[in-house]
Amino acid sequence: MLEVEKIDVFRGEIQALWQVSLKIEDGELVSLIGANGAGKSTIVESISGLIPLTGGSISFDGVNLGSKSAHRIVERGISLIPEERGIFPGMSVLENLELGAFTPKSRKKIHESLRFVYDLFPILKNRENQNAGTLSGGEQQMLAIARALMAKPRLLMCDEPSLGLAPIVVKNIFNVIQQINQSGVSVLLVEQNVRAALALSKRAYIIENGHVTGGGESQSLLNDNRVKDAYLGTG
Amino acid sequence: MIQLIAQTFVNGINVGALYGLAAVGLSLTFGVMKILNVGHGEFLMVGGYLAFWMLRLFGVDPFLGLPLIVAALFLLGIISYRLFFATLASFPEEVKVKNSLLVGFGLFLVFPQIARLLWTGDERAITPFYSGGSFPFLGVRIATVPLAGLAVTVILILALHLFLKRTYFGKAVRGTSENWKAAKLMGINVNRTYMITFGIGTAIAGVAGILVGLTQSISPDVGMEWTLKALIVVVLAGIGSVGGAFFAGLILGVLEAVGAIFMGPYTVALGLVIFLVILMFRPQGLFGKA
Amino acid sequence: MTVNQRIWINAIIIVLLMTVPLLIKRTDLITWFTYTLLYISLAQSWNLIGGYTGQQNLGHAAFFGIGALCTRFLWLYGLPLPLALVTGAVAATIFAVIIGFPAFRLKGVYFIIGTLVLAEILKIIFFTVLPHASVLPSKILNTYSLTPRYYLSLLMAVITVAVVYWISRSRLGLGLMSIREDEDAAEAAGVNTLRYKLTAFLISTFFAGMAGGVYAYFAAAALPGEMFSAVWTFDAVIIVFVGGVGTILGPIIGSVFFVLLQQLLSLYLPAGSHVLVFGILFIVVVLYLPGGLIGLMTRLRQLSPQKESDQIAA
Repeated sequence: MLEVEKIDVFRGEIQALWQVSLKIEDGELVSLIGANGAGKSTIVESISGLIPLTGGSISFDGVNLGSKSAHRIVERGISLIPEERGIFPGMSVLENLELGAFTPKSRKKIHESLRFVYDLFPILKNRENQNAGTLSGGEQQMLAIARALMAKPRLLMCDEPSLGLAPIVVKNIFNVIQQINQSGVSVLLVEQNVRAALALSKRAYIIENGHVTGGGESQSLLNDNRVKDAYLGTG
Repeated sequence: MIQLIAQTFVNGINVGALYGLAAVGLSLTFGVMKILNVGHGEFLMVGGYLAFWMLRLFGVDPFLGLPLIVAALFLLGIISYRLFFATLASFPEEVKVKNSLLVGFGLFLVFPQIARLLWTGDERAITPFYSGGSFPFLGVRIATVPLAGLAVTVILILALHLFLKRTYFGKAVRGTSENWKAAKLMGINVNRTYMITFGIGTAIAGVAGILVGLTQSISPDVGMEWTLKALIVVVLAGIGSVGGAFFAGLILGVLEAVGAIFMGPYTVALGLVIFLVILMFRPQGLFGKA
Repeated sequence: MTVNQRIWINAIIIVLLMTVPLLIKRTDLITWFTYTLLYISLAQSWNLIGGYTGQQNLGHAAFFGIGALCTRFLWLYGLPLPLALVTGAVAATIFAVIIGFPAFRLKGVYFIIGTLVLAEILKIIFFTVLPHASVLPSKILNTYSLTPRYYLSLLMAVITVAVVYWISRSRLGLGLMSIREDEDAAEAAGVNTLRYKLTAFLISTFFAGMAGGVYAYFAAAALPGEMFSAVWTFDAVIIVFVGGVGTILGPIIGSVFFVLLQQLLSLYLPAGSHVLVFGILFIVVVLYLPGGLIGLMTRLRQLSPQKESDQIAA
């Protein structure tokens, strides 16, 4: 479904990604794991069209995404929840969700999407008319996920959803992500919490210093000594 | 005595509404795209001239021809954005603001010269058959044309407010102004949103130009004067407060009207002084977010 | 080009300029030269604060005006011209000290607009307080000669360019340019940004005041309010940008073209048309050619194959 082939990406003058390749099949839940600054965010931002490619290619459903601008990529069915969440703080929860369904295709199904999203996150319904900036960290993350779902994506990319959240909330978020995947949406999960990421996903790629240095079935990675030493520590 | 105060107040409101209208477009553009278009007043001037010639050459009443002017200035705004400001949109904010100020300054240099070449430096007043009329109301004289202008202003600003609050595209504009990166991820075409927002700003400036032509006069140099007024109001209201711009305009208008009684020819400096005071001591303005 | 070669070229140019009034007798041509030299002073003084330090002070006209007004009145009152000139420039600098501290508290855009507004306030005050033109008394008018005015203009231009050049090569200049590039980084590196900015500001306004004084000596009749007109600022800004902001040669060739264009176009087109041309050039420079004409020439020279042999020779 998604094929990233040997992409080189620069952030300004500095090269951030070298010949990165990865693949996601329809319906999969795949993780990108690696340390802070390894380049995981750069990968998903490049797929989203926020950063141009200097080399390589990305194709979705066989179509080369080329240099398409970000809003076109959303129309094609790829949604990104950025690391900073990017909710609109001065606008209400409902308005945030409404904007999530901006693309013409998703706008037609907006009511259905709202219902789905409120089922997944009942607390958002309660806070419907509140300004998004007044929500707690966990609620904002839920809003960010809900908003991305409003676009009816076929591939959902989550960049560090657990960042800055209490463990109980994190557990809830991961449950939701699993539910989303089970409903048929492919998920690309970027996570520093390696254990949780590997527990959730079927496959994973290891990113280090802008390179893909490893990957495979999550089960086997959990038992891999290198992974254990580098990322799993004594947690 | 009371009558003098009341009359001054009424006059102040009339002019103030114009100030507010002139400022709303500038505030919108600056709030959404962080582009301080110092050439804003030039679009006001073009609107005023278009209305003048529409009346003079074709006999079209300025109020009836208003939609035409709106369309024309919207178009001019979109073209101007594409030509002059679009390349700046991707720069980091600080560079963007500074360079957009310089570009706007360039517009301020160029537009008046073109206007002078085309239409001479003569002052033009738009005078339909009903201009100059007035009627008494509760002891004060209410002039009909400024009153109509006030009505137009209020309607236009209300319309803008509803547009931003209720319509889908209006919400997209607000979202883009809060976080353009996230807006892109919603599928919003941020470049197009910027372009259209700029066009809306210049269209509103055009309407203000019509009203200036009706209540004062239009000349090639009118742009700078009104850009300054708009700037004062925007700073007084506070960045990001589009609705507040209207009320700040009214306040400035009334302050100037009252000040004129005591300050005579120095009254023009009053607004400028207020501007500096606010910048130094309350930079977020009266209604803005800190 | 070696340093020696450059010094010789500069010296020859200055000597040539000094002989102009001896060789040319047409007063309109000498006026043209005088104006060009005046603009060189004005533009170069703005270049110091706007180009090298990156603080686009749009209130430059205020200091030009203060210098002009003081010089005018002191000179007409009987003070010897050099004294009047220096006093005028000092007055401008004093004003700069007064508003410098509050002005530099404003950042970026607000500084730019704030200085403009300040200058406008001054203009309004002087337009109202001194509405009548100051005309030279007949005693002076009868013996009015362009020659001393030309030489004064030339002297001012040479001094201003030399000072700004010297600063650009000094430690002060380095500090100023670092502020222009990234003020926060400069501050973090130990540069006392406020002191540097103020220094550049004071020097810049001093020379603006001097330029104003030269104008005051030159003008047969002038409206005091006009001496504070923002047009003086705007002319300086567009000259510097189109010529090449932050370079020494930029304001010079910018001024030459500016006055040239002004004289030529005023023959066929209404007054002010040269501003139209320069305005368009200005927009082009801001959007696409940040180095101005100098930058363009540098880039063209880099494309030519002669460059390598030049470098080897140097």
